[in-house]
Amino acid sequence: MIRLLAISVILLLASCQPEDATPTGPVNDMFDASTATLLREGMWMGANNYSVAGSAKLYQQSDGTRVLVLDMFTSSNGPDLRVYLSTDVAASSFVNLGKLKSTNGQQVYTIPAGTDLNQFRFALIWCQQFSVLFGKADTQ
Amino acid sequence: MRRLFFIIFSFATSVAWAQSPARVNHGSFTGAIGSGQGSVAVEYFHNWQLGQSKKFEVGLGGRLTSYFGSNQYYSSAPASLAGDETKTDSLLMASAQMNAVNLAINLGYRFSPKFGVGFNIDALGFTFGGSKEGRYLNGNQGQLVEGKPTSFNVLLIGNNDRGTLNSEFYARYFFNERWGIKLAYQYLFTEYTTDVAVQQQPEANDRFRNKASMVSIGVTKVF
Repeated sequence: MIRLLAISVILLLASCQPEDATPTGPVNDMFDASTATLLREGMWMGANNYSVAGSAKLYQQSDGTRVLVLDMFTSSNGPDLRVYLSTDVAASSFVNLGKLKSTNGQQVYTIPAGTDLNQFRFALIWCQQFSVLFGKADTQ
Repeated sequence: MRRLFFIIFSFATSVAWAQSPARVNHGSFTGAIGSGQGSVAVEYFHNWQLGQSKKFEVGLGGRLTSYFGSNQYYSSAPASLAGDETKTDSLLMASAQMNAVNLAINLGYRFSPKFGVGFNIDALGFTFGGSKEGRYLNGNQGQLVEGKPTSFNVLLIGNNDRGTLNSEFYARYFFNERWGIKLAYQYLFTEYTTDVAVQQQPEANDRFRNKASMVSIGVTKVF
């Protein structure tokens, strides 16, 4: 019985491991703004006591693809942070551009083809696992 | 696994009636915990003890299970979608809670008067609980939706199950003739039905299931 209890405690501890945090090393995605058209932009603001700063710029490149560029970007760290384009700050309807590459540095995220940017006014840094807003940029 | 369980259960129940078995009634209260989720359950089984040495137990009973989950992923539940990653979408529930009342089946084996092992599983019942907001995730798109626990529960074969169904592999130790302690691996299905068929491809779907693996511990009283 003692052995069974010990096994259960081990299983319980194993099930409570913290989520992996977002990388913190600075990234510097290459992006040539001179060959792209700036569509919209906004400044990052933190939310829920988290700190997010920098700019969010939506560009259309010469080949027609559209990207979101995070410039001079810094963010508080957290688990499962994603970059969303969203209709509002509650992520009621959104497009997930991917996991946040790092909490620091210039980052470029490709916007899926066919996305109607007119529907998505905000860029968000969103903790998907815990449904928490870290930061927002109003790009209207 | 479930098919094997039904075969064993059918065989054991037929033997039970053929041998005029002894009867033992158990009631248990258990608490289970997993990653970001947990459950409490109250169950009662009427067991028939089989065989010359009365070591086999077959039981029928009922169980109330309350489930609590935080930030849990639910995936497309219908059998035509479940199990195929190309067909399943997700529903992320920030806060999940439901309560299920089910008829349940128990199979057990007693190695000694004090120690035994077994398996039990919910078969049929209903679930109640409040509506909750969740985020439907379809590839790189998502939206906020409302969902409520699927009302009707039924155990079927494979992914055809419906609703909230609890099951346990357990080991039980009796301190005396009345009281025992139970340690179990709990496998709990919970299910939400969204207000609208939020999934449209490859077919319309409003049911999403979570399969929780948890460790549970409980006390058992012999009645």
